[in-house]
Amino acid sequence: MTDYAAPRTSRARTPVEVSRLAAQRLGLPAGWWGMLMLIASEGTLMGCFLATYWYLRIRAPHWPPDGIPEPRVVVPMTLAGVLLLTSVPMHLASRAVRAGRLAATRWFLLIALLVQTGYFAYEVDDFGNQLRSFQPARDAYASIYYTLLGADHGHVLIGMLLNVWLLLKLSTGLTMYRLNATVAIAWYWHFVNVLTVVVIGSLTSVHVV
Amino acid sequence: MATIEFPAEQRVDRLERQWQSKPGVLGWLTTTDHKRIGILYFWTTLVLFGIGGTEAMLMRTQLIEPNNHVLGPASYDRVFTLHGITMIFFFIIPMTTGAFGNYLVPLMIGARDMAFPRMNMLSYWVFLGSGIFLYLGLASGNGPNGAWFGFTPLTLRLFDPSRGADFYALALIFNGIASSLTSSNLIVTMFKLRAPGMSFNRLPTFCYAFLAAAFGLLFALPALSADCIYLFLDRNHGTHFFDPSKGGSNLLWQHLFWFFGHPEVYILIVPAFGIATAIIPAFTQRKIVAYPLVAIAELLVVFIGFGVWAHHMFVVGMPTISVVFFAAATAMVVIPSAIQVFSWCMSLITGMPRFRTPLLFIAGFIWMFVNGGLTGIMFVAVPFDQQVHDTYFVIAHFHYIIFGAAVFPIFGGMYYWFPKLTGKLYFERPGQICFWVIFAGTNLLFFPMYIVGLLGMPRQIYTYSSGMGWDAYNAAESAGAYLTALGIVLLFANLVVSYFKGEPAGPDPWNAPTLEWATSSPPPDFNFAVIPTVSSAYPNWDAEDRERDARKLADGVMVLEEGHEQPVSTTVDGRFAEVIEMPHSSPWPLVLGVCIALVFGALVIGHYGIAGIFGVLCLLSLFGWHWKEPQES
Repeated sequence: MTDYAAPRTSRARTPVEVSRLAAQRLGLPAGWWGMLMLIASEGTLMGCFLATYWYLRIRAPHWPPDGIPEPRVVVPMTLAGVLLLTSVPMHLASRAVRAGRLAATRWFLLIALLVQTGYFAYEVDDFGNQLRSFQPARDAYASIYYTLLGADHGHVLIGMLLNVWLLLKLSTGLTMYRLNATVAIAWYWHFVNVLTVVVIGSLTSVHVV
Repeated sequence: MATIEFPAEQRVDRLERQWQSKPGVLGWLTTTDHKRIGILYFWTTLVLFGIGGTEAMLMRTQLIEPNNHVLGPASYDRVFTLHGITMIFFFIIPMTTGAFGNYLVPLMIGARDMAFPRMNMLSYWVFLGSGIFLYLGLASGNGPNGAWFGFTPLTLRLFDPSRGADFYALALIFNGIASSLTSSNLIVTMFKLRAPGMSFNRLPTFCYAFLAAAFGLLFALPALSADCIYLFLDRNHGTHFFDPSKGGSNLLWQHLFWFFGHPEVYILIVPAFGIATAIIPAFTQRKIVAYPLVAIAELLVVFIGFGVWAHHMFVVGMPTISVVFFAAATAMVVIPSAIQVFSWCMSLITGMPRFRTPLLFIAGFIWMFVNGGLTGIMFVAVPFDQQVHDTYFVIAHFHYIIFGAAVFPIFGGMYYWFPKLTGKLYFERPGQICFWVIFAGTNLLFFPMYIVGLLGMPRQIYTYSSGMGWDAYNAAESAGAYLTALGIVLLFANLVVSYFKGEPAGPDPWNAPTLEWATSSPPPDFNFAVIPTVSSAYPNWDAEDRERDARKLADGVMVLEEGHEQPVSTTVDGRFAEVIEMPHSSPWPLVLGVCIALVFGALVIGHYGIAGIFGVLCLLSLFGWHWKEPQES
């Protein structure tokens, strides 16, 4: 039977009210579904880049081609692992926001953002250093290597911008809109983090596979 | 609405104030109303259909006789390339998902708008920008000329030093953004905004078809975007994705293109299935036969479509095992297709069909689909496929599908929903005459192509010598093309005259089963004064439910007139979950759309710094967009 007394969730103004109404509602918000659509689309795009990488790789006699240094493993994989760990504060932020704990939410987001910024700064510097060693126009390996890595870094940058925006929004209080955004952005970060591990894992796997 | 009492009237007034768009041109530029956006999509795609159709006429005029010189070889290449791109990306997809989907899906599921109204508007601006972008390429002497599938190495800079392929690559990425936005929006709308009680097993089959198309677009377009990114990089930055001498592969282009391209064919056709399953029950006055199977089949066609892409590549030298796999996978598409054909036919046979113009177009569609489908199955026989590859037989097959089968229901749908959009009835007899003219013209246009294809006429040639045995067939095809064009012009002329002189239609002239007919024609800005409660897959035939809804207005139950409000349901079983505030009209989608267009404009002329500046402006406009929350406006 239909219940005609569903909550008017957008009206909630205080963290306590937002938290109470969020707990009352059934199912996940449309914003979360929207983020899932973005992840599906972006995931497929990155899947195509990865498929290209493996397609070219299994057909190549030497990978990487002669004259290109083999990618380093330990530092990039460790850093990808560190980035993956930011899923923990992102998840905690999404739990805290649902509990109406605004200050805790902001702290978790800030911690995640600091680590993400550190990761990104190192990777941008490293990307520049690698470009001095070999250029994307050198051969197909270099082309897909930089495309894949650059696209992954682009996703990290977008995630950081989302977190900055979220922190700005949360600095003036909590609404249902912001709660939904926090939950959705946490999911975006889980996607980016797993994606980074897969991308870096693929690019550095020449030693193993 | 005539029986509304005072309190109910006040409620309706409040709803009107809450939901009305701004007046004048500004209202159209900033609207978030799905109906207005659907209408914008409709007119824009219609203009592009006219352009694509003119290109078709140019080709048929060129081929009407041997050794003709209406078009030279270079112009012909541009014309057939743009014809394909325009009809697929700028007519059928935006006409179905953008116009029909936008206008009808929220009405059919009892919602007041799409899940993301501003994103919906953005999708329109991006779509419009991509169309202008593509044709600016042509106007500047840089029209793409490598066919709609843009195979490398033909489209690499070595063979195409113009910027044609750059316009092609960027226009398709640009257009893909619009389609991805629309498809995401359609999916979330159908998942979350269904009226209370509309569980998934009560979703109209029309919506299932659009859900399937939206999922198809969401997962297929990224492959095309990836391919076009590589093409742009190879052409402009010296990368080597498609350069075998440097470890690249031309087959990479084909694999990615067809991983998009074949699901794309089903994305084009599935909305037509949906329109057919909306029209058939209305004109047979019976429920569609095997509703659950039809719903599943619509989804299954697109799902299987993702596993068949390499059947476009049987002549490229793939291993036999791959060829056999893709041939077998292709044969599987027959199963969901046949389920639907049987359902349509059995519904017609066991119902009481009234062959009004919309149903005539659906009957014509069934003929076209079976015809194109049966010749499609023939390609599963690999040697046959290799024999007729790149001949007019293939052209005939896919035009029966993507003109006959995909566009006939669009025409039928225009007639079927014309009373809903305009509040007027169209003129029946001229409509039926238009159908027969178009039907005869289309068959005369495409059937001889099968024969001339079997006789060996290759596709994409700008002319041919006499004495090949092709002359009479080509002359007949061109005559068919003119006849089809005449029929289409008459079809729209009838609608225009009907708009001005037609009889009033009332809310439901067909006694149709879906919810869009439960509201006035044209629908008010808020769609439904009372959010309907649904208890079957044919809610407008549930008279008691609709009467109960009408009584709720006076009591203010499910009217939700306190704000710009929309109920949200649980995803699977459609339980009433919460009431949310929807965004009002906004200038930001237009601002962002313009910034995105300028990014692409700067990219195609190679000014990357300027592209970066506009990219930053895109981000800033996104910040602006989200600054004010829906409940604050």
